[in-house]
Amino acid sequence: MSTEVALPVFIPLLAGVLSLMLWRSRKWQRRLAVLATGLLLASTLWLLRSTLDQGYVVMQLGGWAAPFGITLVADLLSAVMAVITGLIGFAVALYSLGTIPDRHEKFGYYPLMHLLLAGVAGSFLTGDIFNLFVWFEVMLLASFALLTLGGERAQMEGAIKYVTLNLFSSALFLSAIGLTYGLTGTLNMADLAYKLSQVEHTGMVNVVALMFMISFGIKAAAFPLFFWLPASYHTPQVAVSALFAGLLTKVGVYALYRLFTLVFVGDTGYTHTILLWSAALTMLTGVLGAAAQFEFRRILSFHIVSQIGYIMLGLALFTPLALLGGVFYLVHNIIAKTNLFLISGLTYRLLGSYDLKKLGGVYRERPGIAILFLISALGLAGIPPLSGFFAKFLLIRAAVEIEAWMAVVVALTVSFMTLYSMIKIWAQVFWKPVPDAVDATRLRSRERDPGMFWLLTPIIGLAALVVLFGVWAEPLYQVARDAAEQLLNPAGYIEAVLGVTP
Amino acid sequence: MLLALIILLPFIGVLLPVWFHRHGRTACAWATALPPALGLVLLFSQAPAVLAGEVRRFSLNWIPELGLNLAFRLDGLSFLFCLLILAIGLLVILYGRYYLSSDDPMGKFFALLLLFMGAMLGVVTANNLLLLVLFWEATSLSSFLLISYWNGRSDARRGARMALTVTGAGGLAMLAGVLLLGHVVGSFDLDVVLASGELIREHAWYPVILVLILLGIFTKSAQFPFHFWLPHAMSAPTPVSSYLHSATMVKAGVFLLARLYPALSGTELWFILVSMVGLITMTLGAVTALFKHDLKGLLAYSTISHLGLVTLLFGLDTRLAVVAALFHIMNHATFKASLFMAVGIVDHETGTRDMRLLSGLRKYMPMTAMLGLIAAGAMAGVPLLNGFLSTEMFLGEAVAQRVLGGWSWVIPVVAVFAKVFSVAYSIRFIHSVFYGPSQPEALPKPPHEAPFFMRAPILILVGLCLLVGIVPNLIIGPLLAAAATTTLASPLPYYSLAIWHGWNLPLLMSMVAMVLGTVAYLNFARLLRLWERLPAVNAMDAFENFVHDVVIVRARQVTGRLENGSLQHYLSLLILGTVVVAASGLWGLERLNGGVPLSALDPPSVAIALIMMVTAIYSAIWHHERIAALMFLSVVGLGMALIFARFSAPDLALTQLSVEIVTIVLLMLILFLLPPRSPNDSTYAHVVRDGLVATSAGIGVGVLAYTVLTRPQQTISDYFIQNSVTGGGGTNVVNVILVDFRGFDTFGEITVMAIAAIGIFGLLDGMRLFDPKKDPNVQWASDKYPLLLLILNMPVLPLALMVAVYIFLRGHNMPGGGFIAGLIVAIALILQYLANGLRWSNNRMQWDYHPLVGAGVLLAGLTGLGSWSFGAPFLTSAHDHFHIPLLGEIELATAMLFDIGVFLAVVGATLLILANLGKLKSLDTASEENR
Repeated sequence: MSTEVALPVFIPLLAGVLSLMLWRSRKWQRRLAVLATGLLLASTLWLLRSTLDQGYVVMQLGGWAAPFGITLVADLLSAVMAVITGLIGFAVALYSLGTIPDRHEKFGYYPLMHLLLAGVAGSFLTGDIFNLFVWFEVMLLASFALLTLGGERAQMEGAIKYVTLNLFSSALFLSAIGLTYGLTGTLNMADLAYKLSQVEHTGMVNVVALMFMISFGIKAAAFPLFFWLPASYHTPQVAVSALFAGLLTKVGVYALYRLFTLVFVGDTGYTHTILLWSAALTMLTGVLGAAAQFEFRRILSFHIVSQIGYIMLGLALFTPLALLGGVFYLVHNIIAKTNLFLISGLTYRLLGSYDLKKLGGVYRERPGIAILFLISALGLAGIPPLSGFFAKFLLIRAAVEIEAWMAVVVALTVSFMTLYSMIKIWAQVFWKPVPDAVDATRLRSRERDPGMFWLLTPIIGLAALVVLFGVWAEPLYQVARDAAEQLLNPAGYIEAVLGVTP
Repeated sequence: MLLALIILLPFIGVLLPVWFHRHGRTACAWATALPPALGLVLLFSQAPAVLAGEVRRFSLNWIPELGLNLAFRLDGLSFLFCLLILAIGLLVILYGRYYLSSDDPMGKFFALLLLFMGAMLGVVTANNLLLLVLFWEATSLSSFLLISYWNGRSDARRGARMALTVTGAGGLAMLAGVLLLGHVVGSFDLDVVLASGELIREHAWYPVILVLILLGIFTKSAQFPFHFWLPHAMSAPTPVSSYLHSATMVKAGVFLLARLYPALSGTELWFILVSMVGLITMTLGAVTALFKHDLKGLLAYSTISHLGLVTLLFGLDTRLAVVAALFHIMNHATFKASLFMAVGIVDHETGTRDMRLLSGLRKYMPMTAMLGLIAAGAMAGVPLLNGFLSTEMFLGEAVAQRVLGGWSWVIPVVAVFAKVFSVAYSIRFIHSVFYGPSQPEALPKPPHEAPFFMRAPILILVGLCLLVGIVPNLIIGPLLAAAATTTLASPLPYYSLAIWHGWNLPLLMSMVAMVLGTVAYLNFARLLRLWERLPAVNAMDAFENFVHDVVIVRARQVTGRLENGSLQHYLSLLILGTVVVAASGLWGLERLNGGVPLSALDPPSVAIALIMMVTAIYSAIWHHERIAALMFLSVVGLGMALIFARFSAPDLALTQLSVEIVTIVLLMLILFLLPPRSPNDSTYAHVVRDGLVATSAGIGVGVLAYTVLTRPQQTISDYFIQNSVTGGGGTNVVNVILVDFRGFDTFGEITVMAIAAIGIFGLLDGMRLFDPKKDPNVQWASDKYPLLLLILNMPVLPLALMVAVYIFLRGHNMPGGGFIAGLIVAIALILQYLANGLRWSNNRMQWDYHPLVGAGVLLAGLTGLGSWSFGAPFLTSAHDHFHIPLLGEIELATAMLFDIGVFLAVVGATLLILANLGKLKSLDTASEENR
């Protein structure tokens, strides 16, 4: 029995409802947050270990054989994503201890955080398309609730755009599921893949595929469906922004990866060409949007969009190296991006603003924080020997190999503009002297701030990973390579779930 | 291994200066000097072998599958550069110790310097192109941090950003070029690449590869038209300018020209591109240098000019030109580094670098003046100094080359022209600073001689200039030969490093340049007036305006059009996009109808459909009248319930019915708090647009459904019907699917409900709304708590509870189940609220609903987990028959426990929402009760 494939969903779910039961005791909610996310991380590592050994870890829920019940299944991609979920969850839980105001705790921050993680993990591990929808809903509602905690005006405005556009995506997703069920009579993704591989690929399948693509594209914030993201991500608490930035859009990308390597592979000339153009335009619009911004978190938000483009590029090019690069990029980007958001919260704590014009002097007063930022930012921009370099390099090399010149040019240009953007933040927040009107007593204060421990620990840890996955990239490279190999060979997945060889 | 250690030492030692900083500045400098000193010793230990022509290699796997290895090579060329980097590095550390003031954080400075040193050593020794690119980027980055060492100054920050932008962009171009190169050759291993020159040059991609790599080289070595960043990098502390921006980093570009010479050179394209860029840069740099009033600005343009000279040499089609280029690289490093240091002393001891203020310093700093004079002589190409020898070689090759065919004479002519200016600015440098009348009162600080150890590095370098100039063969003969052999990858052509080659054309050209240069300096004032008439371009402003225009203005235009903040705009784009995509897919179908015959229309179905269509349209038309719109909407919902009933899904019909009631009631409660009408603020055009968008989406969904439903299908639903009783212990397939087959979905959905409840709780927190202005035309009931409702309501609750239990228990076999039962209880409780008022009800139901919701989900979860303890997968259900007294035979399944969880979650979530909606109005209620 493969307990480990269910644990990453159940641990946060149970932690969420336990926190609900402990509604009155915020102290225990806090303890539970650290404990449960720690356990989540451990369980996902167990899952990764098993996946590395066995290739696929499958659990047929309720004992009903696929395709009749719901299947939980982890291949390497799922397992890697689960580990990252655990990691980011743990980091954000620690960070939350030092940053989340009482008011937010009182209104269910911790239960919502756990349930959001459950939704994310569920999406990564389910093998059933309708069940995926359910976890998307869990995620959407939990994120909406987290987004509105605190109830400030800007939050509401962003949240309404967020929830409306995402509900549209959900409706589209559900319609596509209905149509798929009408066409194939099944909901299990492996079974779907099997059935679609048996019949001739008709135009109807392409229509459904495109509906899924649009729906997931909205979730992933791909061009031209990204509007909701920069409108909302800079409004909630930093810990929430960081959690969203790290995980939410990536679930959309994951779903694209899953469906367009497993199920809809009959007409890649059509579907993946659309993906390629969308990827390129996503990269460009994201980075252009960032250039015009002067708010720390808004800049980072636009870069999320741009980097989603890179990850989609890996899928669109659809070669072993490209998928490898995509998986590598996913892991790297989640870590680096989350960390940058966490750091934006750190400077906010010191100087009380996210506005670049009202920040400054951090390099002089706190060189350690400056170095942590520099590592994450340069990692994000793909400067060697940090993790981002290999991520970027693999994708560009994959594009060169199949002579996709447009992708090469766009990827290089965007990486350059990303660097420019990071340098803009660096110059404004870290180099520039503190502006006159800004109160910098907290920045200059030499007194120990005990809360800082909770902020710095996860930031240092994630920054260390950015360095580690660059300097010692080999292990991650091999995992990503094996994951890509599995993705290009859907027969293995189908066999693991259905027990038949297609 | 020793080889790797040379490169690693500076990296290992990075923390030394930071650590020793607290032990004083001298200790800090000593600690910093340790790694390069050791490295130098190690390097010399390799000297005999390398100078004899051996190539030392070291390789360690990094990511072998990517072709990326930690591979290093030490050959003549890398030896020459390692020597420059380490030796000048040591001198700069000594100089920096005295240059930095006590306010400057010295540990940070030296740490960055070591970082740069390591990266630079990596560039020149890398035996793998990818590794080379890696170190290349690292030099850009450490240079960026060093330029902005005084980051409080805005010119330092801007200069650093510009340097990084330009060299970083070039670095990316180079990365692309290297990728293509690696793809063509099939390896990134430098040994393989250098041996594949033929293959590369004949490949169709050769022009692209060459241009991309040259972009990297030209940006790094500040070649036209990318030269503009270097003068602005002069805002760095002078040791940095002297080390990075004259002796080493800017040489990385020309180093790469030498390194890839065997692989890339020898084509028409190479000769034209490299020589022309070099020629233009050399001339432009020399001319501009003469008119710079800032000493460092003069030296910066002079550096650009000399780098151009070296580039030009690599672009000439004679083999001796390469020897001359390498020779000049060495010479330039020695005299330019010492000149920068001298300028640093002047700046340090007088407080200014402006030649219009400085004059007659010879009296105050005779030693520095002497050293500066010699170094400037080398720069001008005065005999007996090293600069003379390489200049002679350069002029010789300029005459000998045939790059431009019939126009080849242009190159020597332009070379002499540039030389004239080079002589003139060298004279100006010395004359205006150290000679002329002394006027100490005009200077910010009273001038005096610098401490000896600050002058010592200059002394050493100038000594080298002299030695090389007088006995070249003895000092650098073997080194130059080894470096040139590596670069040319073949036996060397004959050349002689002598001072005197007899009367020949190059010597004549040199003399002409000397004379004309002196004349030019004598007429400096006149020339300056001419120069100032030219339109002045500030590279920094131009660059920043360009970036601002391209990046920010254009970006705003592009993103602003798409992302304008309007939700309607976003939604219509999304919907239209979806419709277009789906339509384009459907276009490819031969016909929409898939062949399954349509079932006959019956009056009830038609009636329901018509009612739903009409009410849906009305709710859209009357959406300003909120209550009316809601009523129409509820009809649509009830129609759905009827459709479910019509197509024999009683469970769904029941669920839909109860959900519909709960939603409508809750919505009514909210509507009470809103104005009765929403404002009408959309234009007619908007209404038409939105109508079209909505209609097309509706038609699209209809067509899709039609297309799919008319196609034959086989589903898995037969399995459920067959296995429901035997496997799930229930005859109601829908319920068994909900709690067993697909219990995991249900589990997720009740979690969604729980989250929604918490979310609403958080959302409503602190929100206090007053009664909205009531429409005077609408008659409101005067009776707050209608008696009839109150009385009828009394028995409803217990009845409803009983019905709920019944529905719940039968759920597994007949329509019903926990979800519906929960909704029924919720409706009954809502009724209590309506009849008795919020305060009354809240007083009687003072539970904490959060734990209740939690308990529901927890129970469902634990039921699922229970199966684990029996070794079965999650949610595996067990069922059996029990005999209960009074009730008789009953079949219980563990799935029922799960269903209880569902029930609790539904009730808890509804009540949580209701109680909080009540709180919204508490202000108003309180005022009413007080009345």
